[in-house]
Amino acid sequence: MPQRQTGPTSGLREVMSPAPGSPESRRRARRARRLRRDGLAWLLVAPAGIAYVLFVLRPMAQSVQFSFYDWDGVTQSTWVGLDNYVQVFQNSELYGSIVNAFELIVYFSIIPVALGLFTANTIRSFATSRLALVSRTVLFLPQIIPLVAAGIMWTWLYASNGTVNQVLRIIGLDRVTRAWLGDFGSALPAVGVIGAWVHFGLCMLLLLAGMTKIDPALYEAARIDGAGPVREFFAITLPSLRQEISVCITVTVIAALASFDIIYISTQGGPGNQTLVPGLAIYRLAFFSREVGLASALAVVLMVLVLGVVLPLQRLNREGDS
Amino acid sequence: MSRSGRSVQRAALTATLVAGALALAGCSSPGSSTPEESETPDASAPSESATPDCGTEPVTLKAYFETGFPLPSELAAEFEKQYPNVSFDIREDQFAVLTQSAPRVLVDDPPDLMRLPQMSELAKDGLLLNLDPYAEAFGWDEWPASQLEQMRVDENGRRGDGPLYAMGLNFSMTGVFYNKELAAQIGMTEPPKTVAELDGYMQAAKDAGLTPLAQFNGGATGGLAFPLQALMASYGDTSEINDWIYQAPGATIVTESNIAATEHLQRWVEAGYFADDVNSMDYAMMMSRFIEGDSVFIFNGDWESGNLDNQMAGNVGFFLMPPLEEGGSFGAMSAPLTYGISAYAANPDCAAFFLNWVATDETARTIAVEVGGSHPMGLADAYMPPIAEGSVTAETLAAGAAIGEQDGAMDFIANATGTVYAEGWTPNLQKLVAGEIDPVSLLEAVQAEYEREVG
Amino acid sequence: MIVARREVWVGRTLLVLLMAVTILPFVSLFVTALHPAGTYPPGLQWPETPHWENFVSAFNVAKMGQLLWSSVLIEIAVVPVSLVIATFAGFALGHLRPWGARLVFVAFVLGLTLPREGVIVPLYYQMRDYGLLNTRWAIILPLIGLYMPFAVFWMRAHFVNMPEDISEAARIDGANTWQLFWRVHVPLSMPALSSLAILLFLWTWNQFLIAVVLVSDPLQRTMAGALGAFQGQWGTDIPLLCAGSLLILTPTLLVFLLFQRQFVSALLQGSLKG
Repeated sequence: MPQRQTGPTSGLREVMSPAPGSPESRRRARRARRLRRDGLAWLLVAPAGIAYVLFVLRPMAQSVQFSFYDWDGVTQSTWVGLDNYVQVFQNSELYGSIVNAFELIVYFSIIPVALGLFTANTIRSFATSRLALVSRTVLFLPQIIPLVAAGIMWTWLYASNGTVNQVLRIIGLDRVTRAWLGDFGSALPAVGVIGAWVHFGLCMLLLLAGMTKIDPALYEAARIDGAGPVREFFAITLPSLRQEISVCITVTVIAALASFDIIYISTQGGPGNQTLVPGLAIYRLAFFSREVGLASALAVVLMVLVLGVVLPLQRLNREGDS
Repeated sequence: MSRSGRSVQRAALTATLVAGALALAGCSSPGSSTPEESETPDASAPSESATPDCGTEPVTLKAYFETGFPLPSELAAEFEKQYPNVSFDIREDQFAVLTQSAPRVLVDDPPDLMRLPQMSELAKDGLLLNLDPYAEAFGWDEWPASQLEQMRVDENGRRGDGPLYAMGLNFSMTGVFYNKELAAQIGMTEPPKTVAELDGYMQAAKDAGLTPLAQFNGGATGGLAFPLQALMASYGDTSEINDWIYQAPGATIVTESNIAATEHLQRWVEAGYFADDVNSMDYAMMMSRFIEGDSVFIFNGDWESGNLDNQMAGNVGFFLMPPLEEGGSFGAMSAPLTYGISAYAANPDCAAFFLNWVATDETARTIAVEVGGSHPMGLADAYMPPIAEGSVTAETLAAGAAIGEQDGAMDFIANATGTVYAEGWTPNLQKLVAGEIDPVSLLEAVQAEYEREVG
Repeated sequence: MIVARREVWVGRTLLVLLMAVTILPFVSLFVTALHPAGTYPPGLQWPETPHWENFVSAFNVAKMGQLLWSSVLIEIAVVPVSLVIATFAGFALGHLRPWGARLVFVAFVLGLTLPREGVIVPLYYQMRDYGLLNTRWAIILPLIGLYMPFAVFWMRAHFVNMPEDISEAARIDGANTWQLFWRVHVPLSMPALSSLAILLFLWTWNQFLIAVVLVSDPLQRTMAGALGAFQGQWGTDIPLLCAGSLLILTPTLLVFLLFQRQFVSALLQGSLKG
């Protein structure tokens, strides 16, 4: 900002300087062209900028503002300072929702990435076969359907007489069968598995694409050194995939922390508050209990948490590049 | 540019952005000007004509009903037949969805007729139309006062007194339905007279390898509130429960008798009387299981009587929850099937006329009984359709009369405040099933949620 | 070699197994949809007589025709507008690079990780003040704004990677910036633009939270929102719910199978750059 303010003065000095055709005036012409170009550039940025400010930055700032008030969305609000934030961390239901979201990371991120690494590494040698090409299409299906649909499908699979229990009975695990989404112990993992199902394909294919880019000469060199497949994996494959892995984790971690669709459809946060996540809690607080301030405080906490988790991952990614 | 230089720049940028956006957000506190204030609805609803009606011009009534219950839609269809200028535009949702969207829908997409969840907050915040002028115009004041009492809300959001904010399509009552064939199998020839007898039959069912109780308790609807409140009425006094529901000052749900009732419910859970997937069972699944003979008992209301008479003709019976000791008094949840008119509705006159028609037209009353299973609203001596003897509808209507005589009617404990069902009863009853909470803590958690709202 | 062959077989088996797990929910959905309406069929079991008419009744009760039309309207409003304004901004920030471009770019990037729940509450009151609640605009406008971080990021990355020579050559031929943009850069951006279009199409089609909160009438929503409403209303009738879900999924699946190459590469690139 300060640089802008000095602009006019330096311009004045230029006006006073004489002699057309001198290097000074050529610089001025270039400068003028540059200014015109800058003007056009800002004109081009404006529509996107306005949409962004109006529907992203402004509501973001309002979330922060609402979070300091006690407001039912209808009548006059009252300033309560940090009370709402205190409540977010004192109310076991609300901080419980944050804990649940972090637990979902295991299923949304870690399982797909680990399983994806393992699978991609196993099928690397025939990555261009017909089967592998078909699998690209099939494994991608969960990515293109709405999460709502995933929730509906899986709710039915998990029912007490659903397919999951049917399969378990066939393989003799009758004792394990239960109403997966209604059981206190299994509800959150069951919801998590839906997320793993959704994200596995994307992660696997990303990692596989990354692996095919690794120079085969590296592997040959390792073979000559007598490295087995395990050492090969840790010494060559894994380090080369740094970028892909961090991308998978970033995408899926955001999906886990900000999950809403699947849980809204499959459990509504129950049983108890076993599967309540911040997204659903914000929705219920704001529009059902009409505690807009508290909902906004939780929204702000969620935004900060996502940033706090994702930024270090990006740094890791960038350092990997250099 | 050095790394640190860049991060300083970034920090400065972030600060500028936040400051700018804050300025954009405006510094006035939220709620200082709400759209409602500028277009406050005309509360003096009925227009000049002495009794409001639907006129002769084409009218489309926007309606928002609960999924799974055919009564309102059948009434609407009959009404369209009798008044061809009126057509219904019906949207349906499950009760949990309807509960969550009620505050928003009533203002922002206002229906002329809506199945209402708990209504004290909605009425207090001015989202519902005050129906007193209609009550006067149509003569609803002459009906037995108890029919309308639960739908009156005062300016503090306390129910039981004050202006009328909703109307019933009928008034329903709850108890226990049983499968006669299965009951005979476990030696139950007549309904139990005490809670202990009921316990005995449940154990007998369990021993015979049957599921005693398929009660819905999954998702956002804690259906164990039905047996719990039935037990509360057996252990305690219905008027105390009603005081709590009506938010009487100082009322608490954590009482000796309620603790005993919750402990009794816990014993049922521990004895395995409930289906093992109650925590994921929804209402429709419970009905399906009961109808298919997979459950001996269910705690439910007479709104299913017509349906059950159709689907299990002759094989279904009903009894009121028995008292602790033989000869004691009976209690039952009884509440009107509440429908309200949004304060912002486009056709309030026509909607009110429809509600009056439901209570007074003979065909409508017949539908209310045959489809709805419950007693119609209206004057005590109004027309009643003939009912087949031996049907469960006949049994529930008789039970309703008995409750009326004994003054044993209670409102539903889930109706105490707008959110106590979803935020209090449901999660904690699910915890009780899972053994995650003890009876006293359950009631205390519900009481805390209740006080958070009642203040 | 024996080891290698065994590895291949393990890999194939694993792959087939994973594909089976991926497909299973779809199969279960399909089989369940063929059972008599209103029943609770056990797991995977072919019905005695398949009730194909469930699809007809689901089509009718879900008002599929109107739903499709509504989704198409929203897509038509969201995708082209987002593409155009993001391309403008991407060109300006990536090619013209005026003073301060970096700062503005970083400001856009900040929005990349934003969870929708973070802004949904203020958006509701904002739309209410505009009088747009329960109209398609309540989905269209916020979505355009919310797509900007990614779309601008994507297009800028594309323009940054365009070799300078191309622009220089055009300038020497006397093209001004505007002509340079339309005649040279836009045609060269088609691959980047079409990938972005696919992503925006898919995200709009599948948008749920915004639809659920800001628009209560399912006929004014996009497909995922409509599916949520369909579940809300018919969730108690499992076969009908399954039939309706399949119908609502069909357009996406068809488009995906037609353009699967583009979809897969767009999604892979999309997440790599994001």
